[in-house]
Amino acid sequence: MSTERQEELAALHAFGLLEGAERDAFVSEFAANLELRALCDSLAGTAAAVALTAPPIDPPAGLKARILAAADQPTGTGRVISFPLLKFAPWAVAAALAIAVTWFASQNLTLRQENLTLRSERQLAEVAYKMAQNQLSERSLLAEKMIAELGTQLRQSEDLTRLKVTALASLAGNSKEAQAIAVWNPAQQSGLLTIERLPAIAATQDYQIWIVDPAYPNPVNGGVFQVGPDGRVALGFKPDQPVAQVAAFAISLERKGGVPKAEGPIVLLGK
Amino acid sequence: MLLATARTFSFTGIALPRRAAGARFQVMAAANDSPELNAQADAQAGLLAAMARGEKAALAGLYDSLAKPLYSLAYRVTNDATEAQDIIQDVFLQLWHKAADYHVSRGSVFSWAATLTRNRAIDRVRMRKRRAEILAESAGELQPAAPAGDTDSAGSLWAQEKAGAVRAALTRLAPEQQKAIELAYFSGLTQQEIAARLNEPLGTIKARIRRGLLQLRQSLPAHL
Repeated sequence: MSTERQEELAALHAFGLLEGAERDAFVSEFAANLELRALCDSLAGTAAAVALTAPPIDPPAGLKARILAAADQPTGTGRVISFPLLKFAPWAVAAALAIAVTWFASQNLTLRQENLTLRSERQLAEVAYKMAQNQLSERSLLAEKMIAELGTQLRQSEDLTRLKVTALASLAGNSKEAQAIAVWNPAQQSGLLTIERLPAIAATQDYQIWIVDPAYPNPVNGGVFQVGPDGRVALGFKPDQPVAQVAAFAISLERKGGVPKAEGPIVLLGK
Repeated sequence: MLLATARTFSFTGIALPRRAAGARFQVMAAANDSPELNAQADAQAGLLAAMARGEKAALAGLYDSLAKPLYSLAYRVTNDATEAQDIIQDVFLQLWHKAADYHVSRGSVFSWAATLTRNRAIDRVRMRKRRAEILAESAGELQPAAPAGDTDSAGSLWAQEKAGAVRAALTRLAPEQQKAIELAYFSGLTQQEIAARLNEPLGTIKARIRRGLLQLRQSLPAHL
C-alpha cells in the first residue's frame, strides 16, 4: 500500500515534475519497491493519456511520406539526426573509463614518485642544511679563534708599538766602539740590552744599567752585568722599582756587585 | 457529472457534438473493459513488433494509428506546426529504429509514443525560451476545434474514441485539478512555476495533481 507521499511523488514523476535530488531519491525508492513501481507505471500511462486532450489536428499530408522516406535512409541521414555510433556508446564509455582509470593510476604513480623524490630531496636538503650548519658553527668557532688570535696579535702589535727602543752612545770616549741597544717593555716592566764591542773590565768591577725616570730623583737600578771576551752582552733586565716613563738608559762602571746609586763613570747613554 | 459531460469541454478545447455526449459517457464508463480498446492497443503492439522486424508497412500502419494524436500533442505543446512536424518525424523514426526495445511492461505503445513526443516538445519549447509566449497563446479557456479534426482514418477514429474517454474523465475532475494537470502536462513548467502561475501554495498544487491523476486513472481504460 503506497502512502500519500508516494502517490504524490509518483504523480509528479509521471508529469516529469520531479527534479534533481528529489527525482533521484524517488527513482531509487521505486526501483526497490515493486508496488510503487507499478503505481508509477500506471500513473505514467494515465498522464500520457492526457495527450489525447490536445485539440485534434491532422498532420500535414506529406508528413507520412517524408517519415517513410526517412526510414529508408541509413541511420544518420535525413532530417532526424541519429547517432549510429551511439550503439558503441557503452563501449566508448567503458573505454573512456578505462583510459581515465589508467590515466589516474599513472598520475597516481607519477605523483607518488614525485612525492618520494621530493621527500628524498627534502631529506638531502635537511642533511645539507645540517652540514652547512655544522660547517658554519665550525667556521664560526674558527673565526672566533682567528679573531682572538688576531686580537692577541693586535695587542702584541700594540705592545710592540709601546716598546721603547733606544740606542746607547759612548760617553766620555771610554767605549768608543761599543754599540748598544736597549728595548723597554713598559707593560712587562722589563727590558733587553744588547751590546757589542764593549771593553772588558777588571774582575773587581761590574757594568750596571740604569733607567732614568723623571718620577725618581735618581736613576733606577736595572742590575749589573759582565762582558765576555768577545765584548758582547745580551741581558734581560728588570728595574728595582716600577718605571712609569723611561727618559733614558745609562750604563755605568761600578764596583763589583753594583751600587744602589750610580757612583762610577757613565760609559753608555741613550735617550 | 452528466452536465459536465453534456456541455462543450472547456478544458480541452475540443468541441464535441452535444448529440454524442451521452454515447461518449457510456464509452468512458465501460472503457476499462472495452475489448475494442484492448484490441487496438494489442494491434499497435503488434505493429511495433513488425517494425522491429523491419516491416515498413507496419510503420505506415502505426503512423495512421498514432500520428494525429501525437501531432496534436506536439502542436499543443509547441504551438508551432513546423516544430510539431519535426517532432513527429523524430518520434516515428525513433520508434522505427528502437522498436525492438519496446516491451509491453513499459506501458502501451501510445503511452510510450506520447511520452517521447511530449518530452521532445517540451525540450524544444524550453530551448526556444518561448515558454511565456506559448503559455500566453494557450492560456485561453476555450480553444478552437481543429478544422481538420473530423476527417479520420480508422486509426484516428480509435484516437478519437480514446480522446473522448479521457476528456470525459477530465471533466469529472474539479476545475482546479483540471487546470493543474493541464499545466503539468502541456506547459513544461516546474512545480514551483505552476504554483506561482495559479497563485497557490506548492503543497496545494501537489495535492491537486495527485488527486486529479489518481481520479483520472480510475476513470480511464486500462489500455491507452
